[in-house]
Amino acid sequence: MKKFKAFIIIFFLLFCNNLYANENSQRNEITKNLRCLICQGQSVYDSDSDFANSMKILVDKKLDQGLSEKEIYIYFKEKYGDWILYDPGLNKNTYLLWLLPILIFVFGGAIIAKSFILKK
Amino acid sequence: MIYSVVGHYSLILGLCVGLILIFFSIQNFKNSNQLDTKILSFSFLQLFFVLISFLALIISFVISDFSNETVFNNSHTTKPLFYKISGTWGNHEGSLLLWLLVLTLFIFIFLLRTKNQPIKYKILTLGFQQVIIIGFFLFLIQTSNPFNYLFPVPDEGLGLNPILQDPALAIHPPILYLGYVGSSIIFSSALAATTLKMVSTSWAIHIKKWVLISWIFLTLGILLGSIWAYYELGWGGFWFWDPVENVSLMPWLALTTLLHCILVLERKEILTSWVIILSIATFTLSMCGTFLVRSGILNSVHTFANDPERGLFILIFLFALIFLSLFIFFFFHQTSKNNSSNFFWLSKETSILVNNWFMMYFLSVVLIGTVYPIFLDVISSQKISVGPPFYHKLIAPFLIPFLFAMAIGPRLKWIRSDLKDKIYLIFLLIICILISFFIVKNFNTNILINTILISSALYLFFITLRDFFSKKYKNFAQNTAHFGFSLLILSILFNNLFSSEIITNLKVGETYDNSKTKIVFESINQNKEKNYKSIIANFNITNSEGINNKLSPELRIYNQPKITTSEADIKTTLMKDKFIVINLVQNQDYFNVRYQVKPFMLWIWLSVIMISLGGLVSILQKRI
Repeated sequence: MKKFKAFIIIFFLLFCNNLYANENSQRNEITKNLRCLICQGQSVYDSDSDFANSMKILVDKKLDQGLSEKEIYIYFKEKYGDWILYDPGLNKNTYLLWLLPILIFVFGGAIIAKSFILKK
Repeated sequence: MIYSVVGHYSLILGLCVGLILIFFSIQNFKNSNQLDTKILSFSFLQLFFVLISFLALIISFVISDFSNETVFNNSHTTKPLFYKISGTWGNHEGSLLLWLLVLTLFIFIFLLRTKNQPIKYKILTLGFQQVIIIGFFLFLIQTSNPFNYLFPVPDEGLGLNPILQDPALAIHPPILYLGYVGSSIIFSSALAATTLKMVSTSWAIHIKKWVLISWIFLTLGILLGSIWAYYELGWGGFWFWDPVENVSLMPWLALTTLLHCILVLERKEILTSWVIILSIATFTLSMCGTFLVRSGILNSVHTFANDPERGLFILIFLFALIFLSLFIFFFFHQTSKNNSSNFFWLSKETSILVNNWFMMYFLSVVLIGTVYPIFLDVISSQKISVGPPFYHKLIAPFLIPFLFAMAIGPRLKWIRSDLKDKIYLIFLLIICILISFFIVKNFNTNILINTILISSALYLFFITLRDFFSKKYKNFAQNTAHFGFSLLILSILFNNLFSSEIITNLKVGETYDNSKTKIVFESINQNKEKNYKSIIANFNITNSEGINNKLSPELRIYNQPKITTSEADIKTTLMKDKFIVINLVQNQDYFNVRYQVKPFMLWIWLSVIMISLGGLVSILQKRI
């Protein structure tokens, strides 16, 4: 049993060193967060439509101009509206969206603790 | 023509049988010494009529009878036979007919297989199920009749959307529906048990089988959809948090929670209200899913029917069902009298509560993320997108304690427990953190969260792996499912971290070369099939280790409807998938080539199969 465990651990350690890092360019990260407006439920990164391809070129251009990731998102948001961003930022429209699940978690936990565990 | 008539009238007859069944159920319920044999015969008759109707639709598709509107809209004479048949449920009307078929099939099996339960309970379950069945009959006949007649008869159909012409997608709907509709039995039976005040341990043992069956089918159904998305949609992803994917995930989460809850109810008469609420919620979520998809208010790849009338019907039907179940719950449900629902903080009961707590949280994230944009649009007409980043941010941090609880929970004893081999558990934790750190440090990603996530998944992985070999541990089903889950999370995380891709534009004969990978675009072949033309590109790819792969992705230009699809070519090996897909670029003579190396893809599929295998083992094994 001990040998078996040791073997598994060694295997994992060796195996980890063999993995190579990927060159995830910043462009991919950004285009994953942009909705392809002419597709149905696909991101610009995933899509190969003409719209998506021109968007990818546009993102490259903006990156070359030295804009940061955030600035690029703001640029697209101003141009196309919130609809284009897959990551809804926290603003007055989305307080409920972000906070409701957390509130459910907190209250759910409180209810469970009160009615089952701390009950005297 | 004749088949449409037969199909249509069998539908109406099936509806009549439903009404007759309700009548007999009420009669039989009043003097219930014995189950009326008429009930069983009529259930069979109803199943028979729906089956006839379903077969009639299949035959209409096979012989390309374009006097039938559904066939006209979704078929074409040049389509291969296999896709003519699968086209039957690749559309709105046909898929609802399949719903109905599974509904009637399940209630028949339920009546046949349920023994040792009171007659009244069986009759009442049938009654509730008939309410659902009649609702679907009306929906089908009223708003989406699959047998509408077209005159003059067109010569040729409009064809099935080519991306649906795929073997995985041919069996995806039936499997998924078995899961969805299976939850209807749980719903009806929970309502019946509540009305008769017989929510007890014996009921839990009886209904657990049905929970498991729907759960297995739902798991496999989601898996098939995911595999299909992976190779057919052409972007190498398998889960996009698309609203329709979410809609299938929600009943799954509710059902998984229910499955764990039943484990407690199986032993002790506690948590009864919660089990009933979950049973109702699971089916309601399945129905909600149907409503959201069918009404066309979701922006998604699956939306093939946009008809407000249908949406309205399902919405009213849904509210009626919710109202009925809430009414029954509040008027008939009795909370258990014995006040032993006080749990010690370290016990199996508590760990199951923790499971429920987290699962409900995940469910609420998915539910709110899916419906919030719709409500916001209606209220303030502002359109927002809720995509993967939202779900990742809200789910990933909570996954960490969840995975730890999954590892520790099953080791605890019922009622009161203390943690054995503490040193071993802590030692293992340190090893897991070390391993994860070694893996993650090579990447310039978010080191902290990735390390902790991988450690927690590894922790569950090692603990469940060890338990397979340990003799004192008997719950093989649970261990298999939990092991599968750890494998799933690990595969997804590694896949996410180690995937690499090359996107480039190439002409025939050109070569792309970076230090690691060399892609040679060797040649192009053209091919003509019955219902599409294809352009096959041949690539020769050499990686840094000198391994050579020939991959041939394809572009298919379908004749009807005229749609071009790209078929990825995937070389699957045990450790990684090599995935290549090409696309035409308008007005250019080169192709857009996307080559991806995706490690552990196979393991994602295998681990989900393993999770459902856990369910299967649980059905088969005798209760200890």
